[in-house]
Amino acid sequence: MSRDDALRTLNELFAEEIEAALRYLHLAVTLKGLDRLIVRKTLLAGMSETLEHAQTVADKIVQMGGYPSLNVTIDLPAEKTTGPEAIRTALAFEHAALDAYRELLESAGDDFELGDFAKEQISVEATHVAELSLLLEE
Amino acid sequence: MPTWKSFDQQPITHSTAHHLVAIAELLGEYGYARVSDVARRLSITRGSASITLKNLKNRGLVTEDDRRFLGLSDEGAEIAATIRAKKLVMKRLFTELLGVDATQADIDTCKIEHLVSDETAERTTRILRLLESGTAEAEAFIDALSRRDKPSGDDVMSYAQEVAAREDEAGTDRRSGEKAKQDVT
Repeated sequence: MSRDDALRTLNELFAEEIEAALRYLHLAVTLKGLDRLIVRKTLLAGMSETLEHAQTVADKIVQMGGYPSLNVTIDLPAEKTTGPEAIRTALAFEHAALDAYRELLESAGDDFELGDFAKEQISVEATHVAELSLLLEE
Repeated sequence: MPTWKSFDQQPITHSTAHHLVAIAELLGEYGYARVSDVARRLSITRGSASITLKNLKNRGLVTEDDRRFLGLSDEGAEIAATIRAKKLVMKRLFTELLGVDATQADIDTCKIEHLVSDETAERTTRILRLLESGTAEAEAFIDALSRRDKPSGDDVMSYAQEVAAREDEAGTDRRSGEKAKQDVT
């Protein structure tokens, strides 16, 4: 994987993380019903964690000699959501982020440093996905 | 409901149409489609694609197997095929009949492909079939059209004003006639 390819992929991941943080915030504030008491905290924690991931990715871009650029278009519907539905939505974009890091690992090739970075992120994202999945179990 | 408002109520939104068509194209080209493939094809994040696809799965238009490979239900496949057909027909209308540049035709087609009614698509197809028939009338029409000056924005505005004036005049005539009838009775 060339340096330019790596930087492009990392910038895509930066956008994934920023977008996910905005989605977490939107889900948290649109949540209604009793679930709001519990699920809101989980979603806001997800937002903070996702922002940290974004910062980690941005730092990686700078370490590789690039600059983070951001190009996101996000459409967040003006409608309320329930706790389980919010968790299912969060799972959908967390799965997407996990897949993105897996692709980064696959394409890292001989770049062991980038591969290690991808592995670390995969571990964190996989744990996050597992925790969210547990919330949906009866 | 006004037509422009009803666009917002369409069950197939612009985004939905693009996701369904993207899956259909990927399945046709590679035999498989994943969230990341759809995202790349539509130049959006995987997160965005995953949210839209989640809704399409809930609506029974998109399927996903245990390995997270995407597919289309019968209904989803039919919608995608219809949109692709309308896209082709409308693009040919723009390029072949109207002489619009292919890139611009792509942009314009993209805006309407999922909104055009079956009736409009069918009538457009009839015109295209006639034009492609090679008959003397068709050739004469195409020849006459190609000899016209290139239209301009000013032409569009002045034509619209002319039509509006004619319609106003027709309305005035009709109202005068109705009043005359009432006076007689």
